[in-house]
Amino acid sequence: MDLARNVPAAGDQIPSLAAYEPEHINELLAGLAQVDQALGQPVPKKRMNGGIVGIEVPAERLLDAARIMRDTLGFEMLTCVSGADMVDHLESLYHLRSISHNWLLQVRVKLPSANAEVDSLVGLYPAANWLERETFDMYGIVYRGHPDLRRILLDDEFNGYPLLKSFHPTPLTVHDRATTQTSGERAVSGEQQRGMERITPKHLGQGDEERVHPGKLTFGSAAVYLTTGQGVEDVSEHGFVTEQDTESGGTGKPQRG
Amino acid sequence: MANDVSAPLTTEFAGLRSEEMILNLGPQHPSTHGVLRLVLVLDGETVIQCTPIIGYLHRGMEKIFENRPYMAGPRYIDNADYLSPMLNETCYAGAVEQLMDIEPPRRAQYLRLIVGELERIASHLVAVGTYGLDLGASTPVLWCFRDREQILDMFEAVSGHRFTHNYMRVGGVLYDLPKGWIQTCEKFLDNFEKVSLPELHELLTGNEIFEARTQGVGYIDPQQALAYALTGPVARASGVNFDLRVNRPYGAYREIAVRTQIRQDGDCFGRYRVRMDEMAESVRLCRVALANLPGGSITTRSPIALRPPRGETYYAVESARGEESIYMISDGSEYPYRAKLRGPSFVNLQILPELLRGSKIGDVIAILGSIDIVLGDVDR
Repeated sequence: MDLARNVPAAGDQIPSLAAYEPEHINELLAGLAQVDQALGQPVPKKRMNGGIVGIEVPAERLLDAARIMRDTLGFEMLTCVSGADMVDHLESLYHLRSISHNWLLQVRVKLPSANAEVDSLVGLYPAANWLERETFDMYGIVYRGHPDLRRILLDDEFNGYPLLKSFHPTPLTVHDRATTQTSGERAVSGEQQRGMERITPKHLGQGDEERVHPGKLTFGSAAVYLTTGQGVEDVSEHGFVTEQDTESGGTGKPQRG
Repeated sequence: MANDVSAPLTTEFAGLRSEEMILNLGPQHPSTHGVLRLVLVLDGETVIQCTPIIGYLHRGMEKIFENRPYMAGPRYIDNADYLSPMLNETCYAGAVEQLMDIEPPRRAQYLRLIVGELERIASHLVAVGTYGLDLGASTPVLWCFRDREQILDMFEAVSGHRFTHNYMRVGGVLYDLPKGWIQTCEKFLDNFEKVSLPELHELLTGNEIFEARTQGVGYIDPQQALAYALTGPVARASGVNFDLRVNRPYGAYREIAVRTQIRQDGDCFGRYRVRMDEMAESVRLCRVALANLPGGSITTRSPIALRPPRGETYYAVESARGEESIYMISDGSEYPYRAKLRGPSFVNLQILPELLRGSKIGDVIAILGSIDIVLGDVDR
């Protein structure tokens, strides 16, 4: 297997606090000029808190950039692969460590939401195997060339990618007996008997533990919602019964995806 | 190739063909330390292939973070690596602090170091004790849990909870040390260093059976360790000089120097020895921190509804098992937009199929136990 070279030995002096110093980071920024050169265009760079440098690489050039980072700049370790759903696009993020230089680099790759595909780094960093599988599992990002791209944490038959912002098959908080406020003056108690939902008119401010709407925590701000009715969403989209539904004989059963 | 069953045999056993056997280990198996399932393909006693199946304990922690305010995060991250909740909380609180660019008071940082190092001792005690149990030594686990109980009692005194402490806050810690806690802690440290740790060494380190089961088993070379992004005692036992408390010191580690415990063995015994050495080192760190414990407040004044500015950050701490880190994006609201948790056990477990290939079935548990995974951290 083609592995990284230059393993730091036990006796090597490691610059520790120096890792956060500007000159130390300048060294890395200077080194990243090689990535600019190889890609033929300057990659956007930024300094982040905690002595981290963040760069952004076009998706189709990721492999070239990663090869330079490993072989020339000395990033021996791919620590973390994360995905992020920025609503209009997806992102695949890589955190690389250089132990010999004590650098930490964040590489961002922007991908379209519709057809998110990027080259896999398994060939360069074996650690990418499970990390990329997890990102695929949660976001549906396809890593081209991955030897074993299938779900890892979720069930194989699971439908959907749960960390996408659009993923809401069921309300996040479902309590059968919870009281759900459906309008400014009316609340539904969730007790179900033979498919019927019992409607309980509630006075404003009655009961401290009333949930304004399922799926969002209400803490202290619930009081604001209760008096003004602001922020109360249409509960029917969460699968709960509304007034109209009940009058026309709705079952009020939460629909599970 | 010995494992190639299709190759014609030329010995006197030519008529006999060995058949591959599939052995399903787990998910309900006491030696997998949780709900890990290994599908092993065996050729006689030799493991040809191993497929770990994980996810039985997946709770969608990252999605939970996105739907809870920042304030509620430390409580949920307790359950990720449930043997070292204090260190998890330090990670979460530190990530939000780095996002908001605030620095907790010195006393809070020292308190974090003390409880963090105690947690490291507690976690390593479980690792070493149950490892002995895996290999047939049933006394160490009892003695380890006896000592760990004292640490949990101290945690209960300081945070109110034995296990899921919910002690860290963004910008500091929740409570100051109660009266007499320092004396209790010093008494524990003395007793642990002078009595318990040597006892444990006596039981395991020189034990002939234990050595035979662990020495030369499950060798990881340093290049492999880096390629598979191994961190923590697993990497340090292979000679990788990497400890976040030293390489990228955070919190009070910027003032209290840590001696990285490294061994060149690379086998199961080396990993066990690194854990033992780290416990001794943690005792020393606790003593130094207690002796230099600064006064002052234990938390910065921060609003209950935290709204970190828009931005992203990556914060890593040295957990008992390696690098535990959070990648966090804030959109300026009370909820994290994204909080990715990198569990050290998840990444360390990845090398298991590589290690098990070609080893004997009897070594499977010895190798798995030496990596010291926590399934709550693997599945998150």
